[in-house]
Amino acid sequence: MKQVFITLGLISAILATILSVLPLSNLAIFPAIAALIFGLIAFYLSKKAGYVKKIIQFTFLLTIVALSITIYKAVFTTVEVTNTEDLIIKEEESKQEALEELEGLDLEDINIE
Amino acid sequence: MMRTLFFLAFLVTISINAQNNAIGHAEKLVFTASYNMSGVLNNIAEVTMETSEAKTSKATLLRLKCTAATYSKWDSFFKIRDLYESYVNPSNLTPYLHNRDVNEGSYNKAMKYTFDTKTNKVKSVQSKKNKPDENRNLTIHGGTKDIVSTIYSLRLIDFKNMAVGTKKTFTILFDWEEMKGQVTYLGKETINTAIGKKECYKLAIGSNQPDVLKGTNSNFLWLTADGNKIPVYGKFKIPVGNGELKIKSVAGLKN
Repeated sequence: MKQVFITLGLISAILATILSVLPLSNLAIFPAIAALIFGLIAFYLSKKAGYVKKIIQFTFLLTIVALSITIYKAVFTTVEVTNTEDLIIKEEESKQEALEELEGLDLEDINIE
Repeated sequence: MMRTLFFLAFLVTISINAQNNAIGHAEKLVFTASYNMSGVLNNIAEVTMETSEAKTSKATLLRLKCTAATYSKWDSFFKIRDLYESYVNPSNLTPYLHNRDVNEGSYNKAMKYTFDTKTNKVKSVQSKKNKPDENRNLTIHGGTKDIVSTIYSLRLIDFKNMAVGTKKTFTILFDWEEMKGQVTYLGKETINTAIGKKECYKLAIGSNQPDVLKGTNSNFLWLTADGNKIPVYGKFKIPVGNGELKIKSVAGLKN
């Protein structure tokens, strides 16, 4: 039983760490919470048996690292749009083409009031 | 019975040809689009809705431009750079030209519609990467608009004198097909937005195309209950999940 919780805790902690460094860092919160719960259960069961394995401490360490990265990214990283040069060029080209096309249309005298 | 039908047709005509008192010619609305992943909303893209003048030798039209661009952190996973634009009559938003340039990951597609408003004909050109251009001539119903001018046209509806539960239908030309959309006015609601606390008109939006918008009462749009009627918040359910659209900044409003 103890081994199951240790394994689940470790898998969750590794998953949380991987997610925390990806753009999906917000999602790392779920495996991080799971890792904490599994880790605590494993810790309790180990303590009852009289010996706490180092792997449980490692699970907690990984979880704390994952949570720290997630919180840091959520608080300090500002989302921004970059690499829009192509889009801006496309917009300009599209406008020029559209104006040429509109010149050929039979538009009644339409003006902005 | 016939009189009721004529009255309904008249109401619809009013809404379609309503005069533009809400949309200026130098307006810029910036939104953040979020996508729900396992219950957590992730900001994925910035959506911009901009208006400007488009002058030809004969007329001055209104250019309605919508762009969508993913935030840089998503670009290496799935890059979106979409451009949707329409050139419309500034007084009633009747479209003359519509361009759609979709650039999503490895998927590229461009579509152009040239409307002949007198004969209700549309000349269309579709361009796809590594494929020859496809030209089609379409016949549409009177009042059919492209997607961009339809979205802007929602702002011309007079909600002030509208009873809660009132439905308005509109026809959109999308991918060579006319599809029906429906807006239901759900009343006023005050919500907090990035531009302050706003009293809004809440609308439910539906479509007869289940692959576009899912469900009849799952898509909502909040328009400010003032002269500008700008969209400030949207909740959408699409086949691949659900998302939100939140206003980020506003500039150049008419009123």
